[in-house]
Amino acid sequence: MISMEKASRRYGQFEAVRDISFTARAGEVVGLLGQNGAGKTTIMNMLVGVLTPTQGRVLVDGQDMALHPLQARRALGYLPEIPPLYPEMTTQEFLVFCCQIKQVHRGDIARHVEELMTLADVHQVRHQLIGRLSRGYRQRVGLAQALCGDPAVLLLDEPTAGFDPMQAVIFRKLIRKLASGRVIIFSSHLLSEVQSVCDRALIIHQGELKLDHSLRQDTQDGHFRVRLRGSSPRVLAQIRQLDSVRRVRQVEGPHTQDLNLLVEASTDGSFQTQLFTLLSGLNAPLMELSPLSDSLEALFLRVTAQETQSA
Amino acid sequence: MRAIYFKELKSYFYTFTGWLFTAVFLALASLIFYLNNIMPRSSDIAPFYSMMSYVWMLLTPMLVMRLMAGEKRLNTDSLLRGAPLPLPALVAGKFFAACTVLLMAILISLVYPLMLSAYGRVYPAEVLTATLGFFLQGCAFIALDMMVTTNLGSTVSAAALSFGVNLFIWLTSLLSAGPGVPPLLAGMVSRVSLYQRLMPYLSAQFSLANTLFYLLFCLGMLSLSVLMAHLARTRRT
Repeated sequence: MISMEKASRRYGQFEAVRDISFTARAGEVVGLLGQNGAGKTTIMNMLVGVLTPTQGRVLVDGQDMALHPLQARRALGYLPEIPPLYPEMTTQEFLVFCCQIKQVHRGDIARHVEELMTLADVHQVRHQLIGRLSRGYRQRVGLAQALCGDPAVLLLDEPTAGFDPMQAVIFRKLIRKLASGRVIIFSSHLLSEVQSVCDRALIIHQGELKLDHSLRQDTQDGHFRVRLRGSSPRVLAQIRQLDSVRRVRQVEGPHTQDLNLLVEASTDGSFQTQLFTLLSGLNAPLMELSPLSDSLEALFLRVTAQETQSA
Repeated sequence: MRAIYFKELKSYFYTFTGWLFTAVFLALASLIFYLNNIMPRSSDIAPFYSMMSYVWMLLTPMLVMRLMAGEKRLNTDSLLRGAPLPLPALVAGKFFAACTVLLMAILISLVYPLMLSAYGRVYPAEVLTATLGFFLQGCAFIALDMMVTTNLGSTVSAAALSFGVNLFIWLTSLLSAGPGVPPLLAGMVSRVSLYQRLMPYLSAQFSLANTLFYLLFCLGMLSLSVLMAHLARTRRT
């Protein structure tokens, strides 16, 4: 688990980040979104302990980063925007060095380096000098170093920069795979990437956390769009009476011959079961049942545009 | 610290820095040996080390410039600062690696006293004492240069600043011995001068006080380096 509690960071008179609070738990992939200069990298640097907050604190696995930095950093893996690599080392040498500084047990280093190379798919360049690797491979080696010591918290700052589209897709799948059992905080300016990879998005604007938005909350909140072919008011009344339904609102939709509904219902799956059973009994064709989604792009633009206008 | 030490030591010789340092050191040592011993046909090794002591002013910046500033240039300081690695261990690992390269060059230069011993009388204790003093002085310059370059982000700036500070130390030492300097000030400068402290070793006197001075000087500079790195973390802009 990693959390920030009312963390602020000043550079002289300029307050780069103000009162940021959030908690991310194991298994969560959290996207850090913001325009250039919004404060994402400052937040990342505070999370990794490279910068100390001027106010507030950072807790990693229950350890205060300012009071117990070494213990806190043991649980962290960090891939900055520019991967920290030594060009004069080979991939394998570099990963061995990373394992050593991250205090991996000496007897486990060889095995762990093999695992990391398999995971990041850098086996074929293990004996090549890092300085001669392509940008994509460097990024992968950077990811491998971040995974050294099997950290509980993984911080990735713009990790897909330098990847071609195919590599980016593979990388996103890898991120999802890595998320099991660990926290991943993922900074990106690509909204589609955050939407596809993350469970949550934190939208940062002008140094403040403007929105902590669950990207899975469409189904958690239990808002559904339902479209029934030519249904009568009797069907609507019966849907309203379902145990799992809290509220039903009739709305206009593109298909004027259909009954378009916005339904607020329970999220345990009972709504879907009850609705299908009801409609099959009433012989009412169901044309659409989909969770309501508010696109991240719309949210991001709304949050950042509001602020820009008010400023 | 071990990991940092070996990584730095390898890096010196994976890149040109270590080779260049050793080559320039040996070239200057050869020239000075020729001027002080071959030409005058002297087996006295003290003038050789006395003149060599000024070489540190030029050469330690070469060793130090990449130690801290190089990490920032490559962005690898985020790797080191993000690792569970205490700052003192990081600074000490780098310092000892630079001192090892320096020691290797000094050990190679022992070939000159060996050559002298083939043709004249050389006192091994005298050579060893002078070598020890020379090595300690070099380590002190490395520690000083590391301190002043701790928070720099450019290797060129680091080299220039180190050289400037070394030059200042030399000039202070030189001018304090000149006429018109109040004796109190001259005495004080002489007590802390990295050049004056070498003198007893060149006279074949093993001086515990001077050895402790050099060691404490290194410790003090490295502690300041750690402090400055720590402050940069909390106050970095």
